[in-house]
Amino acid sequence: MMGAQPFETIVGAHHAEIYRYLRRVTSRPTEAEDLSQETFLRAYRAYRTLGPDANIRAWLFAIATNLSRNHFRSEKRRRVAHQAITVASRESEGDGPEDEARLGEARTLLETTVRGLPLKQRLAFVMRKIHDLDYDAIGRSLDCSAESARAHVFQALRKIRTSLNGHELPSGGVEKSPFSMERPR
Amino acid sequence: MKRKPQVCVEIEPDLVAAATGDADPGAVHRVEQHIDACGACRGEFHRYREIEGVMGALRRAPSEAESLSRALHGLESQLADLRSRLVSYRAFPSPLGRILIARSEHGVSLVEYLDSRNDLSTSRLRRIPGVELQEDGAEIEALYRELMEYLRGDRKRLEWPLDLRMARSDFHRAVLRATAAIPYGAVTSYAGIAAEIGRPSATRAVAQALRWNPLPIVVPCHRIIGTSGALTGYSGDKIGLKRELLAVEGIQAVGGRSDSRIARETLYHYERNDAHEYCLPTCGDIARRPIGPITLLSSRELANSMGLVPCSACRPDLHPLAV
Repeated sequence: MMGAQPFETIVGAHHAEIYRYLRRVTSRPTEAEDLSQETFLRAYRAYRTLGPDANIRAWLFAIATNLSRNHFRSEKRRRVAHQAITVASRESEGDGPEDEARLGEARTLLETTVRGLPLKQRLAFVMRKIHDLDYDAIGRSLDCSAESARAHVFQALRKIRTSLNGHELPSGGVEKSPFSMERPR
Repeated sequence: MKRKPQVCVEIEPDLVAAATGDADPGAVHRVEQHIDACGACRGEFHRYREIEGVMGALRRAPSEAESLSRALHGLESQLADLRSRLVSYRAFPSPLGRILIARSEHGVSLVEYLDSRNDLSTSRLRRIPGVELQEDGAEIEALYRELMEYLRGDRKRLEWPLDLRMARSDFHRAVLRATAAIPYGAVTSYAGIAAEIGRPSATRAVAQALRWNPLPIVVPCHRIIGTSGALTGYSGDKIGLKRELLAVEGIQAVGGRSDSRIARETLYHYERNDAHEYCLPTCGDIARRPIGPITLLSSRELANSMGLVPCSACRPDLHPLAV
C-alpha cells in the first residue's frame, strides 16, 4: 500500500536535517547536495514498502549513512576530501569578541578533527552528538550493534579530546550542572 | 609516561559519556564518586564538559543556506523526473495465463499477457525508453486481487486510475478512452468507436489502436467486434481469450476458432435513436443490420442503467430474452 503520508511531507520534514548531516560528514557542499538528493531518490523508490509505524527519520539516516560509506569507500577520494576541508576551514576563521572567537576557533578545530575521523566513528559521532539519534538507530545505520555504535562515539570523543590538547576552550554555559542529563540515553 | 591506574582506565567510557550527557544515572553516580576522589579524572571530566560546550556551538552552527536550497531544488526536479519515469510491476498467474500488471504514479499503465516464459524479456515494458522499472509488492497485489474477482465474474468494474502514456499517439488514447466507456455486458464495433471519436472512416486505424491496447481487460477492447458480428482479433491470435472475457459478462459467441461471432439472437440491440429505445433482436431486421451504430446488450438491467427504454413496438419488457 501507499506510504501513510505523501512523499512531499517526508521531504519537507527531513530534507534540511539530512542535508546538514551529510554536510557535516563530507568536505564539500556539492557532495552533500548530491548525497542528499540520492538519499531521497532512494527513499522514494522504497517508501511504499515501509510499514505504517516505521521510524522515517532513522530510516533516512540509515540510507544517507550507507550512501556516505559507499561514497567514501575509496580511500584516495577520502584523502582528497580531507585536504579540501583543511583549506576550507582555514578560510572560514573569523574574528569577533574574544570569547566568541575562541569558541569559533575551537569549533573549527573540532569540525576539522571530526572530518578526519575514521568513517564509522565520524558517522556515529555526528549522528549521536549532533543529530541526537539513539544508539539502536545508529547501529542499524552502520550495520553494527548499539554497543559498537557507542564505542565508536567514545573513540571519536577521545580523539577529539586529544586533538584539542593545549587549546584553551571557553567553559561558560556548561559548568553549572555537570551531571545534568542533557539527553536521555 | 605515568601509567593510568586501572580503575581510571575502566571508568573512562562512563566518564566521557557522563560529561557529554550520554550516560545512564547509574554510570553518572559511579563517575561522580570516582572524580570526588581522583583529581586527574576530575580534570578530564571538566575538559570533556568544555568539549561538549563546543559541540553545542557546532549543533547550532548554521549550514550554508545557499547550498541547502540548491540541494532542495535539485532534489525536487530529480524527484519529478523519477516520478514520471518510475513504473512498478509484478507478474501473476491467472486463468488467462500469466499476466503482468504495471503502474506509475498516475495510474495503471500496462496489463500484459505474458507468453509461457517466466521472464520479462518479451514484455513491452522492456521496449519503452526512459522507464525505470521496479518490481513491486503490495500495491500491485491489490490490483491483481481485483482483476481476479473480475475474471471470476464477482466484480463488474475495475475503477482504476489509468495512465495512458504507453499508448502510441493521441489518436490511440482517444480510441482507448472511448472503449473504456463501453459498459460491462455491452458490445459494439470498431466502426462504432470510430464514429464515437469523430473519425467515422478510421475503422481500421481503430482496430490497430486496440491491437496495441496497453491495458487489455481494463480498457475492454474485448467488447469491440467487427460490424458483421465476427470477433475478429484479440491481442494477436488470442481469440479464445476474447470469447472467455465476453462469456464472463454474459455474452456468448458461436462458431469455431476461425469464424467466431457474437450470438446476436441472445442480445438486446440498441441503435442510436432520439427516443433512446432498445429492441429485441427480432425487432424488424435489426439483427441483420451491420453492428456499426448498434450496441449489443446482455441484459435489460444494463439497458436501464444506460438510461434506455424498451422499444414500443417489440416490447423487450414484455418479452424478455431467456437468460
